[in-house]
Amino acid sequence: MGQIKLSNVKKSFGAIDVLHGIDLDIRDGELVVFVGPSGCGKSTLLRAIAGLEKITSGDIEIDGRNVNSVTAADRGLAMVFQSYALYPHMSVRQNLAFGLENARMPKAEIDKRIMEAARMLEIEPYLKRRPGQLSGGQRQRVAIGRAIVRSPVGFLLDEPLSNLDAELRVSTRAELAALHARLKATMIYVTHDQVEAMTLADRIVVLRSGRIEQVGTPLELYNTPGNRFVAGFIGAPHMNFLQAAVENARPGHAVLSLPDGSRLEVDAGRQVLQQGAALTLGVRPQHLTLGKGNRSLRATVRMIEALGSETVLHTELGGQKLLVVLPGQHRFSPGSEIDLSLDAAPLHFFDEKGLRLETSV
Amino acid sequence: MTVSNADKPTLPERLGTIVKTPVGVVMGLIDAPMRALQRLTGLSGMALFFLAPNMLIFGIFVLLPLGINVVYSVTGGSALFLPERTYVGGDQYARLFDCGNYLDALTCQEDAFWTAVGNTFWFVVLQVTFMILAALVTALILNRNLAARSFWRAVFFFPVLLSPVVVGLIWRWILQRQGLLNFILYPFGMEPYNWLTDRDWSFMAAVGVSLWAHMGFYTLILLAGLQAIPKDLYEAAAMDGTRPGRVFWRITLPLLAPNLIVVIVLALIRAVQVFDEVYILTGGGPGTSTLFLTQYIYETGFVSQPRNPGLAAAASILMGLVLVVLTLLQLGLGKRGENKGKRR
Repeated sequence: MGQIKLSNVKKSFGAIDVLHGIDLDIRDGELVVFVGPSGCGKSTLLRAIAGLEKITSGDIEIDGRNVNSVTAADRGLAMVFQSYALYPHMSVRQNLAFGLENARMPKAEIDKRIMEAARMLEIEPYLKRRPGQLSGGQRQRVAIGRAIVRSPVGFLLDEPLSNLDAELRVSTRAELAALHARLKATMIYVTHDQVEAMTLADRIVVLRSGRIEQVGTPLELYNTPGNRFVAGFIGAPHMNFLQAAVENARPGHAVLSLPDGSRLEVDAGRQVLQQGAALTLGVRPQHLTLGKGNRSLRATVRMIEALGSETVLHTELGGQKLLVVLPGQHRFSPGSEIDLSLDAAPLHFFDEKGLRLETSV
Repeated sequence: MTVSNADKPTLPERLGTIVKTPVGVVMGLIDAPMRALQRLTGLSGMALFFLAPNMLIFGIFVLLPLGINVVYSVTGGSALFLPERTYVGGDQYARLFDCGNYLDALTCQEDAFWTAVGNTFWFVVLQVTFMILAALVTALILNRNLAARSFWRAVFFFPVLLSPVVVGLIWRWILQRQGLLNFILYPFGMEPYNWLTDRDWSFMAAVGVSLWAHMGFYTLILLAGLQAIPKDLYEAAAMDGTRPGRVFWRITLPLLAPNLIVVIVLALIRAVQVFDEVYILTGGGPGTSTLFLTQYIYETGFVSQPRNPGLAAAASILMGLVLVVLTLLQLGLGKRGENKGKRR
């Protein structure tokens, strides 16, 4: 079991409120990723669940038991720290055994658990080494091993890949996903990297300024972001936002006036857009295609990033920036004008407060 | 690397730079002679040129007196001028080591020396032990989230800033018969007592005062060591359900070991050299109960009649050897700590 329930969890440091009433249900065996920009409270929330930070108010339940006043050690959770937090003066074996010795576990059982974890993580050859004699990736495995040997009800991982280089991060990410599938344990994973969140999570919790902005599966968040912040945070490069005004609105249909003076006819689905209302039109850079269509824009190329497999165009439309990602290789010169078709692009509409307007375009 | 003439600044360009700032003026003035000197001596010669003033001062005030001291130790008589002294070889050392039983100073020809050695030994053992324990406990407390933490840190460091003479005078004023301690104890029915004329109390006073005066320095080193231990390790230990005592023995102490070694050896070296504040406090008394090695050397060489600079020099060289051993120990342990640190 590893159900974790948060009810109206608040945390303040003095006069500064860091978490503003977090409600969340994490199911047994689920891999939930907390994602958000720096300072959004994701690590604080993780530490509150771990018992390393005392919450100001609210309730934290693990498997139905309120753990507000339970010490970190007795919550049955294990944590993998961003810095790995391996004891530098102890060997890998001693690091793995330390928590089990604290629990006064029989030596034979400790040895068995260490060997199982070491085999699983392929760190058997390094058991006698000290953390300083290991590479970043190996240290990371030891840190995970230290969590595994405790057979916790849940794993808490605080940006565990942030100290690895880009290549190692990709391979370790895949190993973590495989480990989760194998252990079937509840995992809460904190990251500011939305690619990690998208690739690992069963569900993503997007946080901003101590509040949950949206909870959902990676594709739910990508396809139907609940607000402009989530839309901008999930997906790389981030979604384009164009300020627009509604002209000639009628049920299921509207004409939008764009900053460059052009008009764009859109289906508004069940949403009735109000005549004259200002809204934000969101479109992902990958969903724009070259050429004229029924719905198209004319933008000026400002910069080109040729990545080989794709070309990223930084364009401008009526003073607003518009990113375009085109598959393959293309040649443009800065200052040239191009037509971009929105025919195949899912469009997202956000009201003046940044909330999603439900449309099905 | 060769620099073509085209890259060199022209004279008007140089003058333009020179007149910009006062520093520029000075730099401009020394530029030409320095360039000439470098052409003459080469780059390594310039390094020696810049080291020379320091080496000269070190030579005059450290190496030369050291050499003279060796000469004194193999000469006899009370004369201070070397030409007036007679060569006696190792007689001074033989006199110091002429003992029936090294554990009983009274059986030694130079009984004051061995009394001072014994006192210094016990002073070092007690002072260093209490010093390390007190500094460690203080550092552990100051490392916690105390209210007014900076204030408390300053309070413990403040005595380090005092001159040893001031330390001695303050504590003499506290511990003398008409002193503050008796004034405080008197209302509790305690008769005024002269702590500094009691053999045992005066020795413990010397240990205590020295501890008070120097503890802040060692506390500071240990505090820096404690603060260098990553907080994450303690959080990992908390997640592992580690009891506080085990956290101290298994995490804090091993990670503090490099700082602790430095502190122990520095405290040892300093304790062996004990003199000034205790000399002001007790003058070495009562009797010879607080006579330490440095005071013996000072009094033998400069105070006693007839003075014996040769004997004092020999004793100081023996003490110097002890300090050399301790310094080598510090360097060795420090290097071991560095290597361990690199392996981490």
